[in-house]
Order: sequence, then C-alpha cells, then structure tokens
Amino acid sequence: MNKGFMIFVIGIFMISSVYALGVSPARTTLDFSPGMENTVDFQILNSAGKDMNILIAAQGELAEYISVSSGALNVAATEKTKQVSYEFSLPENLGPGLHTADIIILEAPNSADGATSVKATVAVVTQLHIYVPYPGKHAKAEMKIVSSKDGGVTFVFPVISVGEFDLTSVKVNVDIYDTAGTKIDSFITSPIEIPSGEKKEIVRAWGIGAPSGDYVARASLIYDEGTQSFNGTFSIGDAGLVLQDIGVNDFKLGEIVKLNMLVENRWNEKIEGAYVYANILNDRGDIVSKFESAAHDIPSKSKENFEAYWDTAGVKVGTYEADIAIKHGEESSKNSLQFKVDENELTIIGLGYVISDGANGGENGLVIILIIVIVVLVLINLLWFLLLRKRLKK
Amino acid sequence: MKNVYKIDMVVILVSVFVLMILVGYTSPLVIAPLDEYETNENSILFVIENADKLLIDDNIDFTTPEEYVIGEGLKINLKPGKYYWKAVGVFKSEIKSFTINSEVVLELKEIEEGRYGVVNSGNTRLNVDVYNGTAIVDKMTLKVGDEVEVSGDKIVGEMSDE
Repeated sequence: MNKGFMIFVIGIFMISSVYALGVSPARTTLDFSPGMENTVDFQILNSAGKDMNILIAAQGELAEYISVSSGALNVAATEKTKQVSYEFSLPENLGPGLHTADIIILEAPNSADGATSVKATVAVVTQLHIYVPYPGKHAKAEMKIVSSKDGGVTFVFPVISVGEFDLTSVKVNVDIYDTAGTKIDSFITSPIEIPSGEKKEIVRAWGIGAPSGDYVARASLIYDEGTQSFNGTFSIGDAGLVLQDIGVNDFKLGEIVKLNMLVENRWNEKIEGAYVYANILNDRGDIVSKFESAAHDIPSKSKENFEAYWDTAGVKVGTYEADIAIKHGEESSKNSLQFKVDENELTIIGLGYVISDGANGGENGLVIILIIVIVVLVLINLLWFLLLRKRLKK
Repeated sequence: MKNVYKIDMVVILVSVFVLMILVGYTSPLVIAPLDEYETNENSILFVIENADKLLIDDNIDFTTPEEYVIGEGLKINLKPGKYYWKAVGVFKSEIKSFTINSEVVLELKEIEEGRYGVVNSGNTRLNVDVYNGTAIVDKMTLKVGDEVEVSGDKIVGEMSDE
C-alpha cells in the first residue's frame, strides 16, 4: 500500500475523541535469510481505556511482503492491550543493508463517541527492520568518547559484524592530538573476533593524569578486509581554573580590604576574560556581602593574581560561608570556603583541602566474617592434621 | 585408630559444611527482577541482598557497565532494549538479563478547534508527522514526555533513530 493511499485512509477518519493510542514494540529488528517467513506479534495499547475501532495497514519498501492478520478490529474499553500480529514472506534475494516497513495502527472514529468536537485522528507505527548481510566481511562501527570517574576518558567502539562471514581480527588505532595539532599519544587495541551478525565493543581508557584541556582523537578501525575512520573531540579535567590561594594584608574590619587571589590555569590553552566573583553568606544562607575582581587572560599552565576589594562595612565578627566562583564565558568553577572574621584578622578556611566523597570508605562486614571463619577453619584443620592427630596415633 | 579416622571425617565434613553455609550466606541473593524479565516500563525495581554494587550493560561482556550502589528499593530508569546485569558483593551473582520493550504512545489533547497538544507518553523518542488533509504541515521529534502544540487533522508517530 503506498503512502498516498494510507494518507487517504487516514483522512476518512477525521472525527473522533481525544486520543491516546499506543503500540509495542516500536520496532522489530531481524536478520535476513532467503525466503524468510515469520509472524511478528505486537500489542495495541489502549491507555485511555475506551472502545476503539482500529485499522492496520503496512507501508514502505517491504509492505508488499507483509500481510496483516486483521486489517480492522475493535478494542474494548476493558482491554488495556490487544495482541495482534502480521506475517511476512520475504523474497529469496534482497540487496545488502537495511530494509524497512511501517505497520500503521490508526484509530477510526467510534459511533458511540458522537458528542465530541475533536476532529483530528492519531496513528502510531510499529516498524519492521530487516538487515541483509553485506557480501564478504563488513563492519559497522561508531566511536563514543565517555568521561570516566577517574578524570580520564573511555573510548568505546561498538562494532557489528554485518557481513556474510565472521570478522577474525578487529582492532582500533587511536591517535590523540592537542588543539595545536601536535600528536601527543597513540595506542592500538588487541585484535578481537566478531562472528557474523554479532555486536561487540572495543574499549580503551585514556587520559588519567593527562593535563586538563581539549583534545582531538583520530581513530581507525582496522578489520580483515577494510578500515573505517572516526574523528572526535573530548576534554580532560574540569574547567581548568583552580583557586590556589587568597592573601589579605592589613585586615581591619569595617574598611575596604584588598584580597589577592591566585588562580592557576591548568587547561592546555589560554583562557580569556576570567574573573573571580564572591558571595559572603550568613548562617541562614543570605548574602551579606559580595565582591568581584577585574577580568584577566591567563596563559596555559600559568598562574595569575586577581585583586578584589571587599567592603567590610557592616560585617560583624563571626564565621561566614563564602562562595567564590571563577568565571570565564559560560564556564564557572565554584569554591565553598569559610571566612572567619575578627576585628584585625581574616582567616580563610577550606583552601587546600580535598573533601572526600566517602564512597569507598568502610570495610565490608561480610568480607571480615568470611575471612575470620576461613582462618578459623584453616587453623582447626592444621591443628588436627599436623598436631593432635599424630599425638592420638601414638 | 578408628577414632582418629572418625575425627578426620568430622573435621573435613564440618569444614566443608561451614564453607558451604558461608558461601551461601555471603553470595548475592537476587529477589527481583527475574531472569529474562520483560516489561514496557522504563523503571526496573531491583531487590538484592548480600551485594554492594549492581552492574548493568547492554553487552554481555560488561565492557562499559553502568555501576549502581545497591540500596533498599533501588529503581533504575533505562531506555528500551535488552540489558545484562549482575550483582557484586563478596561474590558475584550469575549474569541475568531483562528487556524493556519499546512502545509508541501518542496522546492528543484538544486546546481549541484545530489546535492540539500532542504528548509523547511512550518510552521512546518519536518522529511525529502532522497532516492537514493529505499534506504534511509539520514534522518534529519528541523526547519522552515532551508536549507540543500542533495544528492539523492527523498526527502520526513512530520511533525515531536519533
């Protein structure tokens, strides 16, 4: 059935109620075999719980090979789902690659639904995807670069063997470049086998301890009878600006105080227009004071002093939370510190400390129990077989 | 001499028995979900005892697993697909699988005559075509839960590859 006819069929049924129509699965994917015949079950979902007249038809490239078991059917309000099926009978030959068909499920108007002004109708599609293997050996792959918890990245290459024959050697060569185009590292993965029709992943971690910054990866997937190339960019580390120190000279409460804030650029390129912005908060979280530095450019791998002036008029002796953000462009890195304010002294608490996430803390109680019991058992056995048993024999 | 052999047997049997109890006690106890569980819900409830971590991957080799800390009533939201999982404690559980079936669900709410709110109420991203008569007047991609206003008289939704 061609698309124009389907649209015509849809057009006939324009008067209906507010709709909620569904189908599951959204897609059925199968590998081709010559003369393949199969029955595919799917469910019509009546999530609105109402009586529905349903029309079902196939369209698309494979539509001529498909027959729907029931072109028109009723779904009762009590039926949350209705099991339906279609059959297909494929030819002996199809060209390599993906071939598809859409099975359209259309809600037709219900005569009992007369008192409604809604004049649109809705249709949902369950797709049939048939993959025909390529002649010989053929790989279909992509490159994903995923940030890992340890600060590096993980290269993931999902590879599907879409040829007629198994792939006996699949490996990946990755070259890493910095943004200046200098090659800084290169690696090649161990070869793996991928049987025809199967999917496997080639995974390799990189970048733990590498300088923060943007990088370019150029990868080549090398398999028995071909290669494929991939390019991608990724970043290592956070924004790259780190507040290292805050210095205050001649602090006197109530006056304007000059703060010298040392900021390091750990990024592998220059950062322009960076500035420091601070909010001083009381114990209720209200902002009691704020200050901001001028903007500076910081060359890669260097430190820059940011001066800011804090008007402490009205600030009382005490300890305050200080949210200090280093901003550039849309990026911002925040430091949560404490300012302990006395009449003649400002003590800054929090810089230089690493707050543990605690995720790995604590012994596993079960492991301890297991070890203790095994040790006791070993001791009992040693005691018996090496000592007590010999004594009893004598 | 016979007594010595009897004690040998007792020591060996007790050791083996205690080890079996211990292994059973410390092995992950998987209560839910069942192996090869199938659902149309995106949210899967895991009930597991004697395990700290849950590893889930769409690859049986667990090359890029998602790792979750097991707690009471652990519910995980996933996209449709087939997944493999195992619980890890002192020992690992066997590898089990579950499938989240994809579903396309379109809801249509009338805003005013000829204008509708279309909601993607299924669990997969949708390509939506809006027709007016026989002509396509709008095309869009809706993420799960997205709602958009459209003008037309026919709305057709199918799973998106994006």
